[in-house]
This record gives sequence, C-alpha cells and structure tokens, in this order.
Amino acid sequence: MSILRYAIDRILQTIPVLIGVSLITFLFINALPGDVISALYADQALGEESIRALEERHGLNESFFERYLSFMAGILQGDLGYSIHYETSVTSLVLTRAGPTLMLTLSAFAFAIVTAIPLGAIAASRRNQSPDHLSRIVALFGVSTPSFWVGIMLIVIFAVTLGWLPSGGLVYPWRAPGHYGFDSQLELYVQTVQSLLLPMIALGTMQMAMLMRIERSEMVETLQRDYIQLARAYGVSERTILRKHAFREAQLPIITIVGLNISTALGGSVVIEQVFDINGIGKLLLSAIELRDFQVVTGITLVLAAIFVIGVVITDIAYAYIDPRITLDGGE
Amino acid sequence: MSSNPLLSVEGLTVQFFTDRGTVTAVNEISFEIQEEEIVGLVGESGAGKSVASMSLLRLINGPGRIVEGEIRYKDRTLFALEEGPDGEPRKREDMLSDEEMRTEIRGNEIAVIFQDPMESLNPVYTVGNQLQEFIKLNRDISKKEARSEAIRMLREVGISDAAERYEKYPHEFSGGMRQRVLIAMALACKPNLIIADEPTTALDVTIEGQILDLVQDLQEKYGTSFLWVTHDMGVVADICEQVNVMYLGNIVEQAPVDDIFYNTKHLYTDALLDSMPRPDRTVERLKAIKGVMPSAIDPPEGCPFHTRCPDARQVCEQTHPDLRDVSDDANIIHRSACLKHDIFNVNYEGSLPMTDETKRQANTSAGTTSVNETGADR
Repeated sequence: MSILRYAIDRILQTIPVLIGVSLITFLFINALPGDVISALYADQALGEESIRALEERHGLNESFFERYLSFMAGILQGDLGYSIHYETSVTSLVLTRAGPTLMLTLSAFAFAIVTAIPLGAIAASRRNQSPDHLSRIVALFGVSTPSFWVGIMLIVIFAVTLGWLPSGGLVYPWRAPGHYGFDSQLELYVQTVQSLLLPMIALGTMQMAMLMRIERSEMVETLQRDYIQLARAYGVSERTILRKHAFREAQLPIITIVGLNISTALGGSVVIEQVFDINGIGKLLLSAIELRDFQVVTGITLVLAAIFVIGVVITDIAYAYIDPRITLDGGE
Repeated sequence: MSSNPLLSVEGLTVQFFTDRGTVTAVNEISFEIQEEEIVGLVGESGAGKSVASMSLLRLINGPGRIVEGEIRYKDRTLFALEEGPDGEPRKREDMLSDEEMRTEIRGNEIAVIFQDPMESLNPVYTVGNQLQEFIKLNRDISKKEARSEAIRMLREVGISDAAERYEKYPHEFSGGMRQRVLIAMALACKPNLIIADEPTTALDVTIEGQILDLVQDLQEKYGTSFLWVTHDMGVVADICEQVNVMYLGNIVEQAPVDDIFYNTKHLYTDALLDSMPRPDRTVERLKAIKGVMPSAIDPPEGCPFHTRCPDARQVCEQTHPDLRDVSDDANIIHRSACLKHDIFNVNYEGSLPMTDETKRQANTSAGTTSVNETGADR
C-alpha cells in the first residue's frame, strides 16, 4: 500500500472522531450557564423583544439538534460558524489567530527536540556519570514545574531584571517591517526571534524534559542490544555506534511522544499566550468562553482536535518510514 | 601443540565487581588456537564461555574487567599486565591500546558470530547496509567494492538472489538465513580467527546441520581458525579438533576431540557426555547432571565440581586442582583438572568418599566449611 493511500485511509478514519468531538463540545457549551446575548449586552438593559429579535437573528431560538445540524452543514463547506461577539466568521478568526499559535507550538517542539535528543543520548552513553546526573536534575525540574511559572520566571529574569528580551507580544515575521517601524527585513526577523524566545522556552521546557528522559532510556536499552555489541566486535567506533547503530531505533518512541504531545502543547499554549500576551488561538478560546461565544469555542475545539488527529496520522506514517518492520498494511 | 599458535591465552582471569561481591567469571584459563584449527569451548550456561571468548577482543561490559593473564595473537599482545612501581598492576608497554584493538584487531583479524541471529542484525538498516559498512571498515576498500564483496560472500554462504537479498531488511530473512548472513559478514572481513558464540543454538536441528556443514566447507576453503563456543557435545564432535571443557570459570579438561570423547579424563566431561543423546548408545533415560552449577559469586572451595561429582572425596573439597597433563601417550597432550589422577599426588585413593550429606553441607555453606567440621559430623 502506498503511503498516500495509507494517509488518506487514516484521515478518513478520523472523521467519526471529529464528529464525536464536535457533538460533545456542542453539548457541554450548551450546558454552561449564561448566554452570548446577555454577556454581550451586560451593560445595557435590553427588552424581551430585542433579546428575542437577536436570538432569532443568530438562530439561537432553534432546538439543539437544529443548531447542531446547521453547524455541521457549515463545517462541510469549511464554515466554522459565525461569532456573535466579533461579528465575523469563526473561520477567518481562527485563520488570523492560528499563525502565532502554530509559530509558538512548533518552535517550542523544535526547541524541545533539538535539546532533548542530544542531551538524552549523551546521558545514555555516559550512564551514571555527571552528565547523566545533570540531565536527571534538569528533567525533574522540567516535568515538575508548571509552564506558566517557568514563563513568569523567565519574564522576571530576562525581561524585567536583565532587560535582554521583551516581556510579551510576538513580532510576526509575515508582516511588513514598516508595520513595527523597523528599517529592514533582517531587523524584523531578529525581533521575531527575540520575542519568541521566552514563550518558546516556557512552553517547550516540559516537553524537553520528558523527551530527554525517554531518549535516555531508549538509548540505554538500544545500546545493550546484540547488534550493538556486534558492531563493537567489528571495530565500529563508539561515535558511529551512537550516531548510526543505536540512534535510529531509539527514536521510534520519541516520534510517538511528539505526535501525541502536540495536543498537550496546544493546550499549554492557551496558558502561555495569556502569560506572554500573544494573540493566538488560545487567547481567543479563553475570551470566547468568558463571552459564551460558543460558535467560536466549538470551532476552535474542532480545529484543535483536527490538528491532534492529523498529528497522530503523521506519527504513524513517520513510524513506518523509520522502522521497516512496520508495514502500512495493518499487520507487522 | 606447535610452538607458534595463532592465539594463546595464558592465565586469563575475568572478574565482575558487583554490589553483591566480586564474581570470578573466568578463572586463570589457558588455551591455544593454532592456524586453521577449530577449537571448542564447551560448558553449561554460566560456565564463563562467552565472557572468556569476548575477553579475547577486550569487549567485557559494565562491572566486568580482565584482571590477570596474557593474550597473544600472532606477534601482538592483546592483553598483558605488569607490576607498576607502586606495586599495582598496570598495562604492559606492548599491550595494544583500545584504539589499536578497535582498528587493527576487531573485525579484520578476529571476527565474531553471535548466538542469536534474530538480535545480531540491526532491524532498521538493510542487511546490505550493515555488510557493506563492516566490510568497508575492516578491509579498507571503497563502498562499491565492499558491496560487490558482500554480494559475493552472500552467494558463497548459499543465499540465492544475493544481489536482491542485499537490499532487504533483517526481518525479511529466516533465522537460518540470518546466521548465514552473519557468517558471510565474518568471512568477508577476512579475519584469521572467528569467535563463534553458540551460533547454532538458536536454530532448529536441520538448519544447525546445514550451518555446520557450511562452516566446515568455508573453513577449509579460507583456512580460518575458529573458537567455537557451545554447550552441545554433538556439535563439538562434529566440527572441533581441539576441545576445552569449562566449568564454573575453569577449564577442567583440554584435549584433542577424540581423546575427549573416547578417553575422557574428567568426571564433569563424563557427565556432560552422559547427558547427551548418542546414536551409538541405547539408554533407558538420559542421565542429567545432578544439581545445578554453584553460583560464581560464592564458588565452592577445592575442586569446583566436587559438589556435583559422583566420585568426590574429601580431598576434593580441600585442594583446587590445576590443569595438568595426564596423558599416557607422549604424543598427545591431554590435560585434566581432576584429583583422581596420580599426577596430583594428593592421596585421592586414601581419602574418604563424600556422602550426599557432606556434599549438601558443602553446597549450603560453600567456602566456609572446614575439613574438621565435616569430620566431626561423621
């Protein structure tokens, strides 16, 4: 079976999952006390008449099923619904806010992978020596510290005390340099990196710590295999053994963890976006919940679920690519 | 034995320094391997065969270390210690460095074949990739040459469609085929000695027979020496010329293969032979060796085998026999470490036989039981 065929199959399989997610979200949102009209016009005394008129305009007087079905009908056309509060389509809202969130999440993962894999491998090859102990302490710190606290501490140290980096806000590389008053494209990129650095580390620390421990234990296990001893007996250098012979098989669990943790990181970005004042999907989601703008909440939840599911599919494909024993036919 | 062996091991001792104490896995063993000879290293699991064979390449992992002995290969010293100025042993000057071991000995002079062909190949690279890498590394030839050499060797070990199979992954090969690949790998590096660590144990009997035939053919053709590690006396009879029998880290008998089988001089070898099904003998039941091998962490005093030996006498508990030539034929060297033989001169005949009772005691408090205590018990 070709990879393309396999990918399409797996994506089709995700449809029931996404329908389930949309239904559950829809149900819970409806169970919340309060509604968008009274949240929106909290400071105005609206009469019964005008409330009813607003409800009718936004289809709020229809039954739960009618609303759900029309929402799903919209989904099929790529329409995530209409935000009553922002008075624009949810699709365009999500699209404009997706950039910062994706930038933050992907860079956090890049940071986690780039630091965790070499550190974990070094810890494994120097087992029970000082690099190993150091990595253990870093990992313990990383997994047991909430990301918002890491974020706040980074702001206190690097933004407030040292003044090296901005304390919040993202500079978008896709904007024109003039928008921020920069002279050159290069300055824009430099500023982007500087503004991204702290939130990226805050969001990536926990992932880094987790990946590092997994990398270490996988490497330790792989290094004890017969084929590693065989490579040694054939005069292969320790360096090549670490980089070629042990490395590849040890990466399989890392791929799984990265794939599954995309959702954790997206969830984490909701908090980090608040801490660093980044206008991403996470911040949009929080304000939409406060405003009971449930079209936005449902739309975002569905988008996040879709990203997660796509992540899992990509994980499976990457797995089959790295490990030849896994075929795409469903059996081993 | 000729004066110029390919490999000679003298008093090799390997210890593991664990939390529970020091384990002597290999205890002052000595043996030689001649050019173009297949030498067997036989014994039960845990006898120290694999550790002994891997120490020839100085590949002992973790808490293990070669603490004594000298290993010579051709005119090179793979391992040797001398007393330093502080009285502590240190590496002798002529001993090869780790880097020299890696680049000049491992693979190109001494290659290995492991027990489990399923685990010996890296599952995420093609068979060809691994063959090519090792051949290129050890023969200093280009990638292209290594590839054609690998394919030629695959054909040599009886793999059809070698060029096509070269591109396949290990999981696409059967166990027997994988072991053929590993034999091809070893031979393609053109070593003079191959350490085969139970290479047929994981295979079924018909495949084992095929592999043994193959090895014999190729050994004749290439003139490679083998150190054949096994627990199977049948395999020993099939291919070995010289045999070393190991028990609890010691070599207890050492002789040409015919003498091992037909003129056995150690009771452990006897017991091993009795426990093996033989086409030339009809028995009601196979005789298993009584008891289990004692733990190497707390080995019995005296002869290591006395706790299980049917003919153990009290002297066996007191004296650790070294390996001595007990041959009655001047042309043959047949060494045995059994006090029964006159050459040990410890008055074995005059010593009282050990009963099961005294043996059990020796078993439970091995190493601490003194002669007087057992005497008083009686």
